[in-house]
Amino acid sequence: MSWITIVWSINVGACLTLATMYLAVWCRERQSFVHLLFSCIAASAALIAAYELQLIRADTPEAYGAILRWRPLSTWVLVLSLVAFTRLYLRAGRSWMALSACGLQTLTVIVNFVFTPNLYYGEITAVRQIPWGGETASIPLGTPSPWSLLNQATLLLLLAFFVDATITVWRRGDRERALIVGGTTTFFGAIVAAQFALVILGIIEVPFFASFAYLGIVVALGYQLCNDAVRAADLASELQVGEERFRRVVEAAPSAMIMVNHEGQITLANLQAEKTFGYSREELLGRPIEMLVPERLRSGYRDFRHDYLCHPQARPMGAEQELFGQRKDGSEVPVEIGLSPIHTSNGPLVLASIVDITQRKLAELEAARQHHDLAHLARVSTVGELSNSLAHELTHPITAILSNAQAAQRFLAHDDVDLDEVRDILNDIVTQDQRAGEVIHRLRLLLRKGEPQAQCDDVDLNEVIRDVVKLMRSDLINRNVTVDTDLAQNLPAVTGDRVQLQQVLLNLMVNGCEAMADHYSSECRLLIASQLQNGAVRVSVTDRGGGIPEKNMEQVFERFFTTKKEGMGLGLSVCRTIIDAHRGKIWATNNVGSGATFHFRLPFVGVGKRQ
Amino acid sequence: MITGLLMPAPLGPTVFIVDDDEAVRKAVSRLLRSAGMAVAVFASPGEFLAQYDPVTSGCVVLDITMPDFDGLQLQATLGEKGSMLPIIFLTGHGDVSKSVQAMKRGAFDFLSKPVKDKDLLTAVRAAIERNAVARQQQAQLSAIRARLDSLTPREREVLEHVVSGKLNKQIAGDLGITKATVKMHRAHVMAKMGVQSVAELARLTERCGIRGNGQ
Repeated sequence: MSWITIVWSINVGACLTLATMYLAVWCRERQSFVHLLFSCIAASAALIAAYELQLIRADTPEAYGAILRWRPLSTWVLVLSLVAFTRLYLRAGRSWMALSACGLQTLTVIVNFVFTPNLYYGEITAVRQIPWGGETASIPLGTPSPWSLLNQATLLLLLAFFVDATITVWRRGDRERALIVGGTTTFFGAIVAAQFALVILGIIEVPFFASFAYLGIVVALGYQLCNDAVRAADLASELQVGEERFRRVVEAAPSAMIMVNHEGQITLANLQAEKTFGYSREELLGRPIEMLVPERLRSGYRDFRHDYLCHPQARPMGAEQELFGQRKDGSEVPVEIGLSPIHTSNGPLVLASIVDITQRKLAELEAARQHHDLAHLARVSTVGELSNSLAHELTHPITAILSNAQAAQRFLAHDDVDLDEVRDILNDIVTQDQRAGEVIHRLRLLLRKGEPQAQCDDVDLNEVIRDVVKLMRSDLINRNVTVDTDLAQNLPAVTGDRVQLQQVLLNLMVNGCEAMADHYSSECRLLIASQLQNGAVRVSVTDRGGGIPEKNMEQVFERFFTTKKEGMGLGLSVCRTIIDAHRGKIWATNNVGSGATFHFRLPFVGVGKRQ
Repeated sequence: MITGLLMPAPLGPTVFIVDDDEAVRKAVSRLLRSAGMAVAVFASPGEFLAQYDPVTSGCVVLDITMPDFDGLQLQATLGEKGSMLPIIFLTGHGDVSKSVQAMKRGAFDFLSKPVKDKDLLTAVRAAIERNAVARQQQAQLSAIRARLDSLTPREREVLEHVVSGKLNKQIAGDLGITKATVKMHRAHVMAKMGVQSVAELARLTERCGIRGNGQ
């Protein structure tokens, strides 16, 4: 069998196979016009190869001319497809060049059918059989038509178009495509152009074999498309693996994860989210996120969500705020939420990581209760130390009451009863009874345990100071300590537990007295001052004792630190616990002369108030 | 209530109440007045000392615990001034150590607050009585001293020898004078001291702390 027939047939077969394959691809994916165009290119290349085989076998000038006349039609399809492919696939090439080349090619086809026998020859006089690779092949003899220059111009314009497109793609950095698609097309295009010119002008005597150049183009494009397909498949599987990994990570996360889209709908929820909120995944997906927010907080939440989407950034939600979620059964769960925006082609998504902090809240409550118990214990112990003085405070009114009452009895036994005197006595008895009642009331308040975090009133610290000074009156006399006060006027109120703040002051005063007693101070004076300073109320207790050794300055507030023989080392540590719980600060300084000063500051109402 | 002398009774005894607590002061003074006693009240020891007159009789009812200048200090100051006013201390709870000190310095009585009327009145009456007796003794003593002061030095020497039980002859020998002269001095002494017997003379001089010169 003739090798020419075999080789050209293989060429036809190869091109047809590729054309069929990519046609099938296009059928499955109709938007992918690149595949359709490639299919057209391959099909027309196959047709051209078939024509060439016929030309090699043609034995009369008429037959040769007729076959050659049909050839530009398939070239036209090929060129148009190739130009469209380049524009679509490489997204390169100047559009005026593309349009001009296509126009010229179309003109070539029209001119081809206007003149006989075809575009290339004015006349084909004979067909010559030449020996070619051990066989004979037909080549035409005749006069080339001047219109064939049109064909050459078209080919040159096409080459320019491809070169331009290749350079653009190369510069864009996509070198692989520039080389394989642009480079190959240009190279084989140049071969085609050269062969046409040489054969038609009769400069060389070979049959047309341009179809192999086209085959080269088809193979290169096919290779590139195949490459793309493989890469796409890789990406898809990578994506799938990534997605699977992401899904697993989210699923295994110890906190509830919920992804919300721009409209506030839940697009993802993990196992922990189901557990935390009591909904199944099906009940969550596609539903508004508001369903997980307690009714009372929803309106505020909507504003928050809107604000967040305007300024998305990874951050904890509602810093300094207590957040709650709502379970399916309507109960509320305290939560902590971290937010991360995720930008996708479908708009911004927000990934919320939600931690159920019920246990932590319970632990905090437990800690608060323990602090409260300890504070109470310390208070009772302090009051115990003062019990003598406190009893003394009661002795005065009781003595007055008894003596008054017995005096009245005696006055009434007189013959001429002085009723005015008796009336005065009764008034005094009532007053003194109230006085005793107040002492007991103050004492009872101080000894009462109460509930942790329950007493949060507006407290006037000046009033606290005056109360404690009253409470300690007898003790101060016993200790021979004089108290001076320097209280700021119009002091704003602080928020807190009145009794605990009294306890702090009581402790600081008792400490000051003891420091002066230990130091055998010649003049025992305590100065208690209140002032407004930097948006806080500051209270200081200044003694004239021995001061605090510098090395102990930090330790004095530590639990079980004491310099006294009988001290438990609880007083100041409890003071610090109380002041800390009031968002305040307590510290000590040594005075310039002698003694130490203990200060504490508390934010007043309206400063740093949480929203 | 105005402190200071109320119902001044220069002749009768007065109870001086010193207490820093106005209500207690007022109530205690009422109680004493209801028993017909003259009362003067003071808010502090200082106030009391400012008006203190050694001539006045009666007693002091004193709160032991007061700021600055307390009951103990007042007791000490009065002692230095030679006051004879008995002091009844009113004490609260836990004033034990102060009470012991006051006791050592010769406090008349201690009553703990709140005080019952009978206890207070009994104590006050006893104190006034004690003060009256003391004053009487003091007056007698002053009279004896005055008589002693009227003696000449020689008569004083003779007196000391007489009360030690010596005979005129021995005295004359000791002093280097005649027996007749001793007799004359002795008669003057007996007359000036207003006594009839040597025994009477010895009792008087003993109260003034004069011992016989009897070696």
